[in-house]
Amino acid sequence: MPATNAAHRHTSIVRWVSIQRVSAVAVCLILLMAMPISPLLAETNILRIRNYSDILTLDPAFTKSKNEDIINECIQNKLISYKPGDEWGWQLMAAESMKQVDPTHIEFKLKPGIMFSNGFGEMTAEDVKYSFERIADPELKSPYAEDWSVLEMVEIKDKYTGVLVLKKPFAPIWMTSLSGISGTILSKKAMMSVGEKFTTTPPASSGPYIFKEWKPKQVTVVVRNPDWKGPKPDFDEIHFYPIDDEKTAEIGFEAGDIDFTRISISSLEQYQANPPKNATIVNKPSLYYSWMGINAENPMLKDARVRKAIQMATDIPSILEAAYFGQAKAATGIIPPGLLGHRAKTMVAPTADPEGAKKLLAEAGYPNGIDITLDCLNKSTIVTQAQVIQASLAEAGIRLKINVHESGQFWVLGSEKEMGEKVKDIQLITNRFSSQPDPYWYTMWFVTDQVGVWNWERFSNAEFDKLHTEAAVETDPAKRDAMYKRMQDLMEDAGCYRFITHESAPIIYRNTIVPAMSPEGIPLVRYFKKA
Amino acid sequence: MPATAATPVQARSQWRILLNHLRRDQLAMIGLVLVVVIVASAILAPVLVPHDPNKLNVRHRLKGPSVEHFLGTDQMGRDVFSRVLMGSRIALQVALISISIAGSCGLLLGMLAGYGPKWLDGALIILFDTIRSFPTIMFALAVVTLVGPSLNTVILVVIVTSIPVYGRIVRTQTQALRNNDFIMAERAMGAGPARILGIHILPNVIGPLLIIASMDIPVVVTIEAGLSFLGLGVRPPTASWGTILNDGYAFIRNTPWLVIAGGVPLILTTLGFTFLGEALRDVFDPKLRREV
Repeated sequence: MPATNAAHRHTSIVRWVSIQRVSAVAVCLILLMAMPISPLLAETNILRIRNYSDILTLDPAFTKSKNEDIINECIQNKLISYKPGDEWGWQLMAAESMKQVDPTHIEFKLKPGIMFSNGFGEMTAEDVKYSFERIADPELKSPYAEDWSVLEMVEIKDKYTGVLVLKKPFAPIWMTSLSGISGTILSKKAMMSVGEKFTTTPPASSGPYIFKEWKPKQVTVVVRNPDWKGPKPDFDEIHFYPIDDEKTAEIGFEAGDIDFTRISISSLEQYQANPPKNATIVNKPSLYYSWMGINAENPMLKDARVRKAIQMATDIPSILEAAYFGQAKAATGIIPPGLLGHRAKTMVAPTADPEGAKKLLAEAGYPNGIDITLDCLNKSTIVTQAQVIQASLAEAGIRLKINVHESGQFWVLGSEKEMGEKVKDIQLITNRFSSQPDPYWYTMWFVTDQVGVWNWERFSNAEFDKLHTEAAVETDPAKRDAMYKRMQDLMEDAGCYRFITHESAPIIYRNTIVPAMSPEGIPLVRYFKKA
Repeated sequence: MPATAATPVQARSQWRILLNHLRRDQLAMIGLVLVVVIVASAILAPVLVPHDPNKLNVRHRLKGPSVEHFLGTDQMGRDVFSRVLMGSRIALQVALISISIAGSCGLLLGMLAGYGPKWLDGALIILFDTIRSFPTIMFALAVVTLVGPSLNTVILVVIVTSIPVYGRIVRTQTQALRNNDFIMAERAMGAGPARILGIHILPNVIGPLLIIASMDIPVVVTIEAGLSFLGLGVRPPTASWGTILNDGYAFIRNTPWLVIAGGVPLILTTLGFTFLGEALRDVFDPKLRREV
């Protein structure tokens, strides 16, 4: 019996010790899991950036989002890039010099000693020629082919020097084709070695950082390029985290897991009132433009007085207050502040004039108001916009019914190819586009050729079309500015548009870094520094 | 004489059992109270709302709960309490209309499948299974994409996806009954299929159907709220618990009462109908508990 008792006690002790050990391990694990990763990472000199989506390809000819360009700018080079700051402009990147020889010739000279990784040698004018002509090649079917549609050829003068020969003058080339994703220079040799195709693993990099790894839906990592001859980058590694939801990103920032992220407009007021410790919040004007379109070919809206009554009855300040929490400014047209062609004010005042609208409707033969519909996307901000429009139009006797659509259905509503004659049934529509930082890309969707494609208001004006063509080849900034302003006057005067806002791009970053951003708040990560 | 006298006594005893059950089962009693409150607020909503639920007052957006606004205001300055009350009407309207229509169609088709010829049974079962093979939400999204979002679309989706559920239950019950002695006797006496189905089978299958239907109410309320949350349900500015939740999601960290105001009624409705439905099932058809 005593032996049995001892054995039993021994078993109990062993079991108790095991429980203690298991508990200790469990507690350690829980503590580890609960610990924010920032203190661990802070020691390793890592910059952590939040991107709104994961990468699908780093091939500049086929990138799907701005996020891929953000990463590409760290690991590759362009002749020129956007200048960090509050004014849109460009600065030299791989080019030592750029010169507009005449309206159709641009000469470039590369900096010597820019090396491609993986032994693919020095960057030469041949690589520039290959990269630009590859995207322009119709056989490649790059979605960015339009950026280089005016490129006749790249003429090589010597190892570092070449000339871009254009078919016709093209003013937007500086701020879009050359500074944007289409201006990325790849190694010709490296591309040939992989059959001219790659997706998420570039065969060679030439930037201050090189690609290290991509964990789908988790992180993309770039590390310092040991062969980089330029100024030494401040960070050993940069981690790009794909986080779709801005609220999640905000939590990530507050937990110390992210150093730089865009935040939601709805949180901006709160952050401004109670900013997190050691963080800076900035609110940048975005390149988006949001408007309410009025279909000129709809039977109810054919009379310009009815369209103008709708413009007049829509109260923009209320929309900005309700949908953008007073954090965005009223748009004066489609071209945002900071770009050529931005208008100082609209022709129709932003504040609604319901009495004026009623008068116009009565003149048009609708003294008792009208019943119309508005189609919009099922996004919270846009549905809020629609409801405020509904309320403000009601003041003028315009009874509005809102049709909410999911994205697949919405984006074909005005397409004649998809919807046929039904496109003329659209009455009002709220829409939102973004663009590259040149006015050419803003007006191109509203020319007559775009009616039934992206011009859902079916606005058609011969003077507008002529100005759009002429402004693309006009190299005098003052003249271009006047042309684009006139074009927006024509849009508004036709009664087809009620410009709403360019929104805003609020950003939060940790004070341990000094970020570099384009005027719309896109991070230019290769220029980020430690504070 | 004993047979005719048994019916009211039996019914009375079943109600007594239900009352006893409710008294004993606290969850069932909570369910009953919740259902009564929700139904009463839905019916009386137009009288109870302190403000116009669709009236915008942007200057007073996102105000916290106060005496004037019990549940605060949303991003457009609308009174959230009024919208929650009106939202209960939408939720119950969708649930009652769609379940009534789906239940009736399921009853008819189920009886036809269970009592009719084999080829008809086979055809209806294939139809039911085909519809059931689509996940409800995916099916709803596809229909909304095709015909556009509206309250009628939500009701249509629920009807189409619910008919097979009710149809299958009724079919099984009908098949179990069709070879019973009393049905055989009726048939031998020359009763036609319409009489047999209407007089003998219908009263026997409708009980389980009603129990299942009552337990489906929270499911339908959730589908409506889910579609409205995605912006594919009711047309703005109509108040729905789903749209209140969606509006609140954008401000969840700073002004959480919007999400609470949209979420709590949804939870309470789901719990209320589920608890009450389970109590009804336990009392009226304990066997169904196993089948469900």
